[in-house]
Amino acid sequence: MKRKILFFLSAGLILASFYMVLVFVPTERDMGVVQRIFYYHVPLAWIAFMAFFIVFIGSIMYLFKRKPFWDYLASSSAEIGLVFISLMLITGSIWAQPTWGVWWIWEPRLTTSLILWFIYVAYFIVRGYISEEEKQARFAGVVGIIGFLNVPLVFLSVTLWRTQHPPLTIFTEGLVAPMMATLLVCLFAFNFLYIYLLSERTLMKLDEAEVKRLKENIMERNG
Amino acid sequence: MENAGYMLAAFIVIWSGLLAYIFILWRTQAKLHRDIKLLKESLEDNS
Amino acid sequence: MKELRAAFIIATKDILTEIRTREVLTSIVVFAILVIVIFNFAFGGDERAVKTVAPGILWATFAFSGILSLNRSFMMEKEEDCIEGLMVSPISREAIYLGKFAGNLFFILLIQLVVIPVFSLLFNLWLFSFEFILVTLMATLGFAAVGTLFSAMAVNTRARELILPVLFFPIVTPVIIAAVNASLLILEGKGFSAITDWLGIIAAFFVIFFVASYLVFCFIIEE
Repeated sequence: MKRKILFFLSAGLILASFYMVLVFVPTERDMGVVQRIFYYHVPLAWIAFMAFFIVFIGSIMYLFKRKPFWDYLASSSAEIGLVFISLMLITGSIWAQPTWGVWWIWEPRLTTSLILWFIYVAYFIVRGYISEEEKQARFAGVVGIIGFLNVPLVFLSVTLWRTQHPPLTIFTEGLVAPMMATLLVCLFAFNFLYIYLLSERTLMKLDEAEVKRLKENIMERNG
Repeated sequence: MENAGYMLAAFIVIWSGLLAYIFILWRTQAKLHRDIKLLKESLEDNS
Repeated sequence: MKELRAAFIIATKDILTEIRTREVLTSIVVFAILVIVIFNFAFGGDERAVKTVAPGILWATFAFSGILSLNRSFMMEKEEDCIEGLMVSPISREAIYLGKFAGNLFFILLIQLVVIPVFSLLFNLWLFSFEFILVTLMATLGFAAVGTLFSAMAVNTRARELILPVLFFPIVTPVIIAAVNASLLILEGKGFSAITDWLGIIAAFFVIFFVASYLVFCFIIEE
């Protein structure tokens, strides 16, 4: 029931964001229509970082409590974070082409996201090469902790490296009120979508465990 | 309006990506529920 | 104190085995020099170009040969089932981490001790300054700190050594960026004050990941 409410809330906000991004918001003067990507690109990045923070918390909780639930939560959040950050990287690339004439720029935030993408891909590669569930959760937990601790260092080093080159100005006149409102609507839309997906995905993993338990029961009974 | 195509491309990528993800989730979820129901029934039948 | 003693014994055990058998180090050193030679074919044509890419080549070489050396560290224990012996002995997991860390640090430094002179010779660059040695030493501490943790993780998966680079490279990006840029500044003749920011990142990386790895290592070798 609660998930239904969450779903309709995020669907409504997403529809509102369509209107805000496509119709309501004024076109930015220097970059033109393509700047509208920004309203999805930036919230995607923020929510992805939040998702990886949840992975960090879930990993710590798992390693201390050893309750499978925390691993389900952490790995679900890692998966959704990976989906969001992949979309963020692709849209960043699509934005870079008309604006700077290249498909990729080594901009600090974009570069940090790329490194994060690799870390959480590794998170799933490690899981894939382990058969025992408990060990999977343990190792993934360690990657979830170490990977997240790395975020500030990656960002710091990339920023320091890139500031030796001319900085990029994204906005000539700052965010005006309608732009800010649009950004906030998109942020809320993705935020609720994330919470909805996280609960959906975590419950799915609980169900998977239930299926496994039932199967074992049947196997036992049939000798 | 000269770069509206890029905007549209990004828009399509985001929403088709998310829709595909949600769709896969729903399908697996439905299958799991079916499995749980079947397994529970066969457990009850046996006892 | 007891922990440090146990760690010391593990490290000397690793170093002694290596000295007696010379199984690994010789081939890794040859590999490292080959990497340098290949890079020289790729970039070595232009005298001025060499100066700007040299630090990158050097650190790529350290990273590649470091991976090889780190991989051996737990492979050797796993192959002969020595790890079981370590686990049943009355030594804490933390002491095993410290011992392995010290051993790995020693091996990587030893490789660098051969590679750096060869590199200076082949590229005609003078690298022996206080700043450069400091940067190399601290970056290697960071390499060994995460490398030891991930190497223990990698050998316990089905893919064995394949996993290590996938985990290791994204995590050490801050160190590589910082070390390459600091080395570049040193080669340009800038003094200590120019590289303090980079050194800060390298030092922070070591401290954070040494402490974190020390704490989570017990979750990797549990069974």
